[in-house]
Amino acid sequence: MEDLKINGRLTIEQINSLKEIPIEGINYEQIYIEKEPICPQYIPPDEDLIPSSKRTVVIDPGRICMPFGAMWASVGIHKCIPFVQGAQGCTTYPRYTFSRIFREPVAIATASFHEDAAVFGGRKNLIQGLRNLIYRYRPEVISIITVCSSEIIGDDMEGFLIEAKEELEEEFGPEIHDQVKFVIVHTPSFAGSHVSGYDRAAKAFVQTLAKKRSPNNKVNIIPGMITPGDIREIKHILELMNIDYIMLFDISGTLDCPLRVPQQMPYYPKGGTKVEEIIDMANSVATFALCPDEGGSAAAYLKKRYEVEPVIGPLPLGIHNTDKFVKKLSELTGKPVPEELKDERGILVDAMADTFHYTMGRKVAIVGDPDISAAATRFCCELGMEPVAVMSGTFSKSFAKEVWNACQEYNYNPTIFNGGDMFEWEDYIKKNRVDLILGNSKAVNISKEANVPLVRIGFPVYDRVGYQRRAYVGYRGGEFLLSLIVNTILDAKFPDDRVHQ
Amino acid sequence: MSLPEKYKLKCDRVIPQRYKHMVLSNPTEPNIPACNTRTVPGDMTERGCAFAGSRGVVGGPIGDCIQIIHSPAGCAWYQWGTRRNLSPIYAWAKEGVLCNDSHNRRRAITTDLQERDVVFGGMQKLKDACIEAWKLIPGAAGIIIYTTCTSGLIGDDCNAVAKEVQREIENETGKPFPVFVIDSPGLCGVSQSTGHHHFNVQFYEQMVAFRKSHPEVCMKEEEKTPYDINIIGDFNMDWDLAYIKPLFEKIGCRIVAVFTGGERLKNLLKIPDAKLNVLHCQRSCTYISDLIKKGFEVPYVNVSFFGIEQTAKALRDVAKFFGSKEMEEKAEKVIEEEIKAITPALNFYKEKLKGKKVGMYVGGPRVWHWQKVMHELGMEVVFSMCTFAHEDDYEKINRRAKEGLFIIDNPNEFEIEECLEKFKPDLFLTGLKEKYLARKFGIPTVNSHSYEKGPYACFRGFINFARDIYQGIYAPVWKFIRDDVLG
Repeated sequence: MEDLKINGRLTIEQINSLKEIPIEGINYEQIYIEKEPICPQYIPPDEDLIPSSKRTVVIDPGRICMPFGAMWASVGIHKCIPFVQGAQGCTTYPRYTFSRIFREPVAIATASFHEDAAVFGGRKNLIQGLRNLIYRYRPEVISIITVCSSEIIGDDMEGFLIEAKEELEEEFGPEIHDQVKFVIVHTPSFAGSHVSGYDRAAKAFVQTLAKKRSPNNKVNIIPGMITPGDIREIKHILELMNIDYIMLFDISGTLDCPLRVPQQMPYYPKGGTKVEEIIDMANSVATFALCPDEGGSAAAYLKKRYEVEPVIGPLPLGIHNTDKFVKKLSELTGKPVPEELKDERGILVDAMADTFHYTMGRKVAIVGDPDISAAATRFCCELGMEPVAVMSGTFSKSFAKEVWNACQEYNYNPTIFNGGDMFEWEDYIKKNRVDLILGNSKAVNISKEANVPLVRIGFPVYDRVGYQRRAYVGYRGGEFLLSLIVNTILDAKFPDDRVHQ
Repeated sequence: MSLPEKYKLKCDRVIPQRYKHMVLSNPTEPNIPACNTRTVPGDMTERGCAFAGSRGVVGGPIGDCIQIIHSPAGCAWYQWGTRRNLSPIYAWAKEGVLCNDSHNRRRAITTDLQERDVVFGGMQKLKDACIEAWKLIPGAAGIIIYTTCTSGLIGDDCNAVAKEVQREIENETGKPFPVFVIDSPGLCGVSQSTGHHHFNVQFYEQMVAFRKSHPEVCMKEEEKTPYDINIIGDFNMDWDLAYIKPLFEKIGCRIVAVFTGGERLKNLLKIPDAKLNVLHCQRSCTYISDLIKKGFEVPYVNVSFFGIEQTAKALRDVAKFFGSKEMEEKAEKVIEEEIKAITPALNFYKEKLKGKKVGMYVGGPRVWHWQKVMHELGMEVVFSMCTFAHEDDYEKINRRAKEGLFIIDNPNEFEIEECLEKFKPDLFLTGLKEKYLARKFGIPTVNSHSYEKGPYACFRGFINFARDIYQGIYAPVWKFIRDDVLG
């Protein structure tokens, strides 16, 4: 069999003529498939149309829809089930996406719009749907999330909810109002992106739930769409500094859960932010919105309504940004920076000192959500790498400003792709010298085609395991990211005899 | 027959209308559950939308055209490179380099509808987007436009746009360039099944019209052979076609086109020119088979490519259709050779899997395709569930299953949990969303939509299927859950 193989694989013909199939079977990875070009000769694309500003078509968008961000936020709440006022796909596709990234079950309910909803509106679907959901699941919170269809039809969600609550009271008694909280999040998908969806959800949650009581001496953290590993790292820093906190949308307890039997039915993850904590967010010392575009408006609201000091960004990724975060924490709480944290910083600095010969001067292309992309850009500068093509899938003013500021400080002049599509960013990489890509799983094809190695970071990473459990933020996260970057460069660029010194 | 009390799942006491969707099988007088009806809102259904059925399932595998989603960016993003419906056709990444992923999975192309388009309409945008996409992805053989909730509700006349785009591109190139529209907004119909239906009917109508206006795309008389067949309703999951196609070629058939797994548009336009349609997925593609039978008098045979008995029957039925003694003899020879090639491996797995209990939850047809397959492995099916099956699917399940199998139509998350606890299967055949739920209850799974390490089809693929089931059940991890030494 060995001598039949092409690049270690067998052609379809060879496999089908084998006299005996081995016990382990012959699966996809062993089949050699001859690639057929779509057309015989290469035809170049129309150069004039490559910049996204020169065309209407969007090819390979770096963003999803608003409802997705609102669902992400909601699943970070303890015993919260999002109820999506739309067609079934609006729920099934996001659930599929969550499962792909986090490898966890995610419970999201749907109003199951069919044609009649388009004609008569979704009132009946909402009222019946909430009743069925509450009866069987007894959630503590339900976030009601609109989508394209319910917004175009013009469903009066606030009015429908009042009606629904009256009916719920009749069936379950008045105590139902204490047992289940409702938060309406308007997220028409033909505006914004998942980034703004998360932002809107953050604001809707605090607007609906937060209440003035006595000061709690805590800081609020609105993490944005970062990984469960990131959230744990932020908690670690707060705990080292002895600071009490409220972590909003804490997916570290809901999207990264242990497998332990027996389970309760219906399945609920153990963790997530408690309603009580969200109520108490009005009484905190400060709100840190780690990602300006994903939580900034909630922080601004808490300031305006309850005088809670807002600290909006930057994402504490890399030395400068983490320093800023830690100093601000210390300043606002009066807690000193502990030795352990200074040592963690020192370890990151040590790792940078050990590796700058590998990183300096490398040209890097970056893609992701605005805040992660901007913070990663600054970290690359700190490693002596040159950001050359930096993209945010969602348009963001703060992204452009932060990338510009970081690069000015280090004397770089990258091309900034703000809210375009990955097609134009890809074109840059294929035409210019780039040594490394920092991006999500949607950059894999580009990386392979341009033969530029990829470091996986940001949302979404679904083609490798474990990334959701790792932290990129904080000093320890910085060390992890630095190691990923350097090891990727070593794998791709350094012959083995140069590495073993 | 009314459902015995002990099968009435506890979680549905408050939505008793769900009990109509549950039956116990009867092979002689089939019990058909309520099916293909609206979902109960808020019941945590696993169903998707019509768009997922049209673009994701049936249209998605087509290999060489631009598939443009007339919607906000979200819908386009969600169907981008998800299902493992693979294809050998690759677009050019740059000069001398082909893309890393097959063209049908490589890109997400959309009009990215915005608020102003919702107010003022998106037709001009759609037209511009089509022309631009064609200029940016040169070499594509045509365009398929899909509508979604947004474009459906604002009422854009996409067919008019498609005609204009087709005319302009054909005028410029002087070559046939089909531009089709599949109008299947997500909120149409009760499940993704509606999207399958829409794609079949609309593709058929536009294909027939295109063949009329462009007779040069039809197969010429001299190119036809007496044993031309199409494989209808196979989407080349994990390269199933690597095992399906050679079997038919070995018995002397020529495959004109596969509808739609990894196929080129020019071949799809020749579908009516074949002599026989071999229909695999009888839920998503019976519609077009019926239309072709009516419109072109090309008959079809229903087949299944899973397991020994059914694959053998598929080959025998096709040979019998052609009435060729030679083909029948070849079929027998192929069946014999194939069985011989897999018997040693299969015996290993049969020994390991004997008596194991399996729960099944797939879209529709696979649930009946696989009843016999599980039987061939010596496994016992303890419950069967379908997302979007219709009466005919349930009839087939009844006919193939042992008497008294518990069947649920359109199960929801809670029902799945309760069935896993109630029936305690050793393995759960299910999809990506549900498999993580099952694992939290300590039950192994095999991805039954995109497979774990396929292909699973035909004789040789059966060994891969058996191996993945075996690996699921025998993975060492499960013993660490059962023997929690920390108490």
